Amino acid sequence: MELAFLAELTANGALTGLLYSLFAIGLVLIYKASSVPNLAQGALTMVGAYLVLALARDAGLPLWAAIPLAAVAMFGLGMGIERVALRRLAGRPIVMILMMTLGIDIFLRGTTLAIWGGTSRSFDLGVSSDPLFLGDILISRINLVGAAAAVLLFVVFVMFFRTRLGTRLRAIADDYMASWSVGISVERGVGLSWGLASIVAVAAGIIWGEIQGVDQSLSLLLLKGLTVAVLGGLDSIFGAMLAGLILGIVENVGSTYLDPLVGGGSRDLIVAAVLILTVMVRPHGLFGRHDIERV
Amino acid sequence: MTPAPDKEAAKILSTNSIEVLYDNVMLAIKGVSIQVPKGGMVALLGSNGAGKSTTLKAISGLLKAERGRVSRGEISFEGTLITDLPAQQRVEMGICHVIEGRRVFEHLTPDENLDAAAPMSMTRATLNAEKQKIYEYFPRLAERKNSQAGYLSGGEQQMLAIGRALMTQPRLLMLDEPSLGLAPFLVAEIFNIIKKINKVHGLSVLLVEQNALAALEIVSDGYLIENGRVVMHDTAQALKSNSDIQEFYLGGGSATNFHDIKHYSRRKRWLS
Amino acid sequence: MFYRLSGVHHASYMSDSRLYKIPADRNLALFFLALGLAAPFLFGSLYLNSYVLPWLVWTAAALGLNMVTGWAGQLHLGYAAVMAVGAYSAVHAAKFGVPWEFALLIGGISASVIGSLFAFAALRVKGLYLALTTLAMQFVMDWVLTHSPTISGGSHASLQAPTFALLGQKITSDTGLYYVAFGWCLLVTIFMLNLRRTGLGRALVAVREKDYAAAVLGVNSFYYKFVAFATSSFIGGVSGAILVATFFFLAAPEQFSVAVSIQALAMIIVGGLGSIIGTYFGVALILLMPSIVNGIVAGGASTLGLKLNVESLAHIPNAVYGALIIIILMIEPLGLGKLYGNIRDYLILWPFDQLKK
Repeated sequence: MELAFLAELTANGALTGLLYSLFAIGLVLIYKASSVPNLAQGALTMVGAYLVLALARDAGLPLWAAIPLAAVAMFGLGMGIERVALRRLAGRPIVMILMMTLGIDIFLRGTTLAIWGGTSRSFDLGVSSDPLFLGDILISRINLVGAAAAVLLFVVFVMFFRTRLGTRLRAIADDYMASWSVGISVERGVGLSWGLASIVAVAAGIIWGEIQGVDQSLSLLLLKGLTVAVLGGLDSIFGAMLAGLILGIVENVGSTYLDPLVGGGSRDLIVAAVLILTVMVRPHGLFGRHDIERV
Repeated sequence: MTPAPDKEAAKILSTNSIEVLYDNVMLAIKGVSIQVPKGGMVALLGSNGAGKSTTLKAISGLLKAERGRVSRGEISFEGTLITDLPAQQRVEMGICHVIEGRRVFEHLTPDENLDAAAPMSMTRATLNAEKQKIYEYFPRLAERKNSQAGYLSGGEQQMLAIGRALMTQPRLLMLDEPSLGLAPFLVAEIFNIIKKINKVHGLSVLLVEQNALAALEIVSDGYLIENGRVVMHDTAQALKSNSDIQEFYLGGGSATNFHDIKHYSRRKRWLS
Repeated sequence: MFYRLSGVHHASYMSDSRLYKIPADRNLALFFLALGLAAPFLFGSLYLNSYVLPWLVWTAAALGLNMVTGWAGQLHLGYAAVMAVGAYSAVHAAKFGVPWEFALLIGGISASVIGSLFAFAALRVKGLYLALTTLAMQFVMDWVLTHSPTISGGSHASLQAPTFALLGQKITSDTGLYYVAFGWCLLVTIFMLNLRRTGLGRALVAVREKDYAAAVLGVNSFYYKFVAFATSSFIGGVSGAILVATFFFLAAPEQFSVAVSIQALAMIIVGGLGSIIGTYFGVALILLMPSIVNGIVAGGASTLGLKLNVESLAHIPNAVYGALIIIILMIEPLGLGKLYGNIRDYLILWPFDQLKK
């Protein structure tokens, strides 16, 4: 009984964790290409979800049309943000870059809520809310769908980074100067990574919006996403997947045992603790690269 | 001395007294005029901080990345003015700059390094053929083409950097200190390959070197840069036999007392 | 024009290290000092207490943050948590019967102790990682505040502050409270103005520019980072306590949430990192902008006959606030202080521009 309970906690934690990874992939893409920690990723996720909702509900489009349309629009938005706001800050101190992404976060949230209002709405993706039984273990269907989406996205990106365009993006992540010297447009590459991250935000927005409703709370995923990204090493997509699994399990199991002791709500505490511990003990995370030093 | 018209036409690159400003305040080079003949090999010599690398960056357009700009003068490549073009466009036109310090893409394999440098318009088949050519020039790279580039030896990294530059299909290759930190036999090997590529493909080469001895062996012309100015320009043969050059850049020479050195510096001032 | 200085004419080191190198600067400062003293007689009590007072207290707090982020270069995304520590300990001490003078001191010292925990993070990492750690610490502090009724004041999660008093005199009048805020802001400003003339200030700047280079020069960068965090946390703690005592009158966790930390950082960045006058501008802009925008939007909507729903009205100031940060960073990443400096530099020579160079 106890063991089955633990297995259930672990399984559901792992699935939730993969959903964090889904969010964190966006952070990783941008950090990899430009070393910019995008604190507006939460807001982008929120905008993505609202956009799909607006297209599907308000404009009456079917979901299969609304989602790609929103993805295209968000791709443009991401590229635009990079072009207008971030590009001119290249080479400035990190504090200004952080503040810029925070400003974008505040702006996007304010604008979205001013346009569509703050009342929580939902998609109705057609995923049943009845749990799935695997032996003794109860699993939420939407979490399973989301986790599958995360894994799918991961595979897509792994494949993308093996194409010629993807190789160029990895080259940009390695060395700006050398990229320029062989005619790779670093600016366009960084813009592309913002566009891709915004598409990831749409995916995360849909899944999380289905789980907890489309409202302002979507932007609060940022802390969990950041923790996952940092634990995974900030520039490794595989690291983000693994870190998501770890955080999800630790959080789900930990909070179940910790909640009765502290009177509930220990999830955020665990996440913050993991973030602090990671930075203190292993700042480059599980798979972050420290620059290769050859002796 | 004005060059004859037909000689002018044979230039692939010429800079006309260019000045470079960093951060709008620091004048790094003060009127450098050099010319590279089509299919020729030219060396820029000079000591540390003389302005050799800055000259190359001005030509390749990489200055912008370091907050520098060409504030006076002009650069023309195959008769077109390129002074203000973005770096990417210059690469497309056929100028490729192998930057100092063998900056390979460390986390990519050598094979991917070559892929990344190929223009996106190149078809997969051409790409593979081009890669094959480069592996023929540098058999050592072929052996290690799937290991991580960051873990290659210094010589292999330099070869990879040159090979990567060749993937952009350049007509003018600019090399910044390819011999830096390499064993003499590797320097000789790399220089031989450069010479071979120059001969076989008619690729023009502009070489920046501190290792003047090795450089003067393979080039036809040399420019000597001091304090951001060209102070001497002659054929490689003449430079090699010049006593001042021997004294200061080739090691050896005959001057052993201060009088000769003083004499040299006075002349240098006059030249600049 | 106002400044009339054509060139630098220092003849001794004493004159070069003066607080105000130009008489006009000193006169300007004296003018604003007089204005500050006279403010209660110039502004109505509504403006005085809902705009000028919080502006001054927040300026004091932001100056403390500017010391650690602008001078010492240490990113701090948990400043509101430090202010919360100061505010809560001071209010609890005052409730316990400690006179307010000492309660403020207790608030400052306990904030300083907790703030030094942030410094331990700074000893280990810098830049982005420090920002993330301080952000996480802010979340931990938020959690502690909302989850421990003994600190946050029971079921309503709000803590009534006892009436403010100094030297046994209860201060309840608007004018009295204003002077408390004004005095504190003045004190912090004078401290900060003099900081850059001292060895401590120079050491902090050295640590900011390159900590290991500073270490090579014999500046103990660990020690100075520590001092920067401790001092700024003291300022933040006392400012938090004064904010509760003179403005909010009761302490609640959301007054010191993560959004407030970001707001504080926005104040100093919009104002200008390491700029004192800029901090005044930045705080004014960030703090007062929402109500101004609200007024404009509501007014504009009614004149145009548009009907905006309540929700839109509530969120437009947020959007403008974000846009403001973006625009200032795009135009002048060094903030309003730098813009002011540019104008001042121009006017110093005007109309003799040719004297430049």
